[in-house]
Formats: sequence, structure tokens, C-alpha cells
Amino acid sequence: MPPKAPTRPATRSPITSLLKAYSEQTPDRLKFIDAFLVFLMLSGVAQFLYCILVTNYPFNAFLAGFSSNVGQFVLTASLRSQVNPQNRTEFKDVSPERAFADFALGSIVLHFFVFNFLG
Amino acid sequence: MRSFSLLTALVLGLSAFVRAKSSQGDDVLVILDPKLNRDDYSLFFGGLEKDGYSLTFRAPKDVKPKIIKDDVPSFSHVILFTPETKGYASDITPQSLIHLLSLSTNLLITSSPKQTLLTALSSEFSLIPAPPSSPLLSHFPARSDPPTLLPIPVPDPIDPKSEYADHPLAIPPICSPHTKAVWYEGTAWALGNNPLLFPILRAPKESFVSDASGDEGAEGVVDAAEKGGEGLWAGSSLAVAAGFQTREGARVVWVGGVEVFSDRLAAKEIAPGVPSGNTRFTRDIAAWAFQESLVLRISHISHHLASSPPLVGSNTTNLPTQYTTNDKLTYTAHISIYNPSSSTWTPHVSLPSPQMAFTMLDPHILTTLSHSPSHAGTYTTTFRAPDRHGVFKFVLDYRRKGWTWLKSEEKVAVVPPRHDGYPRFLSAAWPYYAGAVSTSVGFVLFVVVWLSGEGRETRKKAE
Repeated sequence: MPPKAPTRPATRSPITSLLKAYSEQTPDRLKFIDAFLVFLMLSGVAQFLYCILVTNYPFNAFLAGFSSNVGQFVLTASLRSQVNPQNRTEFKDVSPERAFADFALGSIVLHFFVFNFLG
Repeated sequence: MRSFSLLTALVLGLSAFVRAKSSQGDDVLVILDPKLNRDDYSLFFGGLEKDGYSLTFRAPKDVKPKIIKDDVPSFSHVILFTPETKGYASDITPQSLIHLLSLSTNLLITSSPKQTLLTALSSEFSLIPAPPSSPLLSHFPARSDPPTLLPIPVPDPIDPKSEYADHPLAIPPICSPHTKAVWYEGTAWALGNNPLLFPILRAPKESFVSDASGDEGAEGVVDAAEKGGEGLWAGSSLAVAAGFQTREGARVVWVGGVEVFSDRLAAKEIAPGVPSGNTRFTRDIAAWAFQESLVLRISHISHHLASSPPLVGSNTTNLPTQYTTNDKLTYTAHISIYNPSSSTWTPHVSLPSPQMAFTMLDPHILTTLSHSPSHAGTYTTTFRAPDRHGVFKFVLDYRRKGWTWLKSEEKVAVVPPRHDGYPRFLSAAWPYYAGAVSTSVGFVLFVVVWLSGEGRETRKKAE
């Protein structure tokens, strides 16, 4: 008996289903925020590895560079949770515009401190 | 009238000082035993007077002039030609002679095989006196003179073939080069291990100390040689002339016999047609004792950052008092030697390996100063200050036997960098700078894209 032609698996692997669900169900805005978060995370990991493997001198520059990534990541993540339509019920008082203004102001203050500390 | 005579004395004293050979003064007190005839030593005394010294003679039992008056020494130098004197006036005691040294008066002391007050004093200088009444004698070279009168070759500081050339530190260059051998009559000392003491003239190898005038005591000498140790007083480990320089810089010369200064031995030929070196040798050891030769001083020292040479005309009063850790520092010492022929201080160019220590309790840096050929007498070094803050000292401490000791200490504070003194924008930190800048640029782009996207969305909704 000839072997059956391979049938498509009835259930996909969880990772592919997760990716598919993400790309289909997530709004473009949140995807854009996620891309920024990934960039920040990679940049922070790169600096941390440089600090461990190469040099932590000058340490203040490491602290400034790394904390700018971390701070920006935190601010961006909170922006994401506030503008997510699924969380509307949680943040009744906070409009997306208000959330964005908070995010922008917080980031500007963060960068002010970072550049003061960097040199 | 009194003031006028005082003024005259002052002017005379000043003019005498100008002519003086010594770097310290030219008043010499000669304590001369009455048994010795002053004219028998006319070559030695005449040589000193010709060079500008004013000699004052005094017998040991004379009361005047006093060697110390009101705790001030009356003379710059004292010569004791009292090899066999038993009794002195009350102001000459071993204690007062030691006190003279602490008052920076120099001594030239002659001793003899006889046991006197000076024999006891010599052991205070770590000289170990030979048994009493035992002169130094030698049967070599064969000669018609008695064995107690022996020729001794003078160490040559320059001739590399000299038997002393291997030990440049053992005998400082007190004697002039090419001095002929000297005739010597007297005792000899063994030298203790006092670091301030050094031999000027060693006894010949073949010589020994014995109380036998003839050869009948030879058995005793052979016995002593077989036993070794303290019984043996022989060979070139004995010294017939020794120098001692106190920690304050006063100088003492001990000579085992007074006859070496006499006209008789100065005129005696050492070889047919060759006069002995006594005149030159005695003048040389007097020159050393009276602070003419081997006299050094630090004219001034300076230190500054290696990157910023000091202003011309800067002196010790406006030297920097503070440096930062890891600074490059330059230390310079100007060292002069006294030139007795012109009574001036001239730059000293051949100081062997002077060292400078940068110390805070311990020497953190110990380095050799090198002579800079462009500036005679200038010894300099450049080094990095240690990565340690605290109060440091530049210490120049130069001690060589026979030479004046040099000592200089300069205190400076070494501080950590000020808050704005650290290096900034280091190349090692570029990844961090790039990280911070990219985050900011990313933030700006994010805002631009976000706001434009919002505009599009509202338009979409409106449509």
C-alpha cells in the first residue's frame, strides 16, 4: 500500500499559532510599540554584555546608557498598556492622547538626566 | 677707639675669609707638645700659612687661648701635635674634643705607640688601638733604615692599576693622584665597623705591630699569626691614617705618628733622586680635614610637573605644594662642590649615582638622578607619582664615605583628581554613548511616526 500523502497537521505548533494570532489580532500601533521595545531591549542587552565582557569603565557612562534603555523601555511599556484597546476598562480616566503626553514628558525628563550623567 | 679696632678686626677677618682655602674658616689652633720643635714641621705649617690659614700655637698645658669660649668654638680647626703628651690644661679633655666636633670644628689628631689620653679617645671613633709601646714595623723593602721607619705607598684614586682601585668606596679620593710613597713612623689601628670611619692610608701588607725593636720577638709574631684573631696585628687591614666624618659633617683625621709631618721625612728620598710624598700627603689630609676637598652642597632643588617647566627665576619659595595622583613629576637637584683654589662653589658634574626617593612612610619611588649634560651640576629625574594620595616627601639623602653628606627633604601633598579633573569622553565608552544617543533618536522617530500615524487614523475615521 503506497504511503499516504502527508496531511496537514490538525493542530499547529503553539509558537506559530501565537505568532499568527499576534499578527492578525494586534493593532498596528501596538505592533509599532512592540518593535520599539524590541530595539530597546536589544540595545540594553548589547550594552550589558559590553560592560561584562569588555569594560565597565567609565561606569557612569554605562549607567547612563543602560538606564536610558531601561527607562525608555518602562515608559514605552506603560504607554502600550494604556493605549491598548483591551485595557480600556482599566484606564477609564486616561485617554490615549493623555497617555502619550505623559510618555513624551517622562521621556524628555529621562533623556535630560541621561545626558547629564553620560560624560 | 675700641669700636675702631673692632672694625679693623672685622675688616681684617673678612679679607682673611676671602683668601681662605677652607669652606669653613681659616683659624687653626695648633696644640704643640713642648718636646716637639715647631721648626721641625715648618714645611707642613708653612704650607698651611701660605694657603691662607692663620695658625695659633699653644702648648697642651697653656691656659690660653681656650678651645671653647662661652660654648662657642674659638677656632675653625684644631691640630693636636701631642702624640705623647700626658697632661693637658683643664679645657682639653676627650669630652671637650667631642663637644668641639658637635660644634662643627674639625680635628687633626696625631697619636703614637705610647698610651695617652688620645689612645682612649681613639676607641670612641671605633679605632682599635694596637697594644701599647708597639710601633708598626716592616722589613720590606730591604733598606738601611730601622724597621720602624717604613715607606707606605699612597692609594691612587685614578690609577686603575692601584691595588685599591677595586674598592672605590673603601678609600675616598682624599689623596692627590700620583702621590709618591710616604715615610711613616708610628702606630697603626685596626678599624671597627663604624660606618662613619674609613681608612685614608693603610699599612703595607708586609708590616706588623710588635713591641720588639729587633728581630728577637719574631717568635711571638709567628705565634700570633698562627692563632689569628686578636693576637695578630699585621697587614693591610691596619690603618695608619683614618678619617671620620660626624653626622653633622665635622671631620676628624687620625694619624698614628707625628713624624710623617716632619721636614726630616719630607726631605728624605723614597728612591734615589725621588723625594717622598710626605709634603703632598700631609697637605692632602689636612685639606680634607679642614673642609677643602670633597665638600659638597645642594645649591637648590626644584620640582614641577613634567608637562609644564617652571618659570625662569623660580626658587624654592614658590615651588608647587600640591600634585595630583599619577602626575608626571620632574625633580631636579643642583649640586655644587667647593673649589679651594678659588674659594667658590662650582657645579659638580661627576656625582656617582645619586638617588631620590618619593616617600610617604616608605619610599614609593626610588630612582637614580641622572646628570643633564646641558646644565652642569644639575641632576634630574622624571617619574609618575604613585596612585596614592597623602603627604609625600622628595628625599635626597646622599652619603658616601669621605664626602659631605647631602640631605634634602621637600614636602608635597599628592591629592586625588578634583571632580572636574578626571578624563572625559573616553574611547572605551563609545558603546554607551551610542546606546544613549540611539535611544534618544529612537524616541524622536517614535514620536514623529506616532503623531503622523494618529493624523492618518483620524483622517481614516473621518472618511
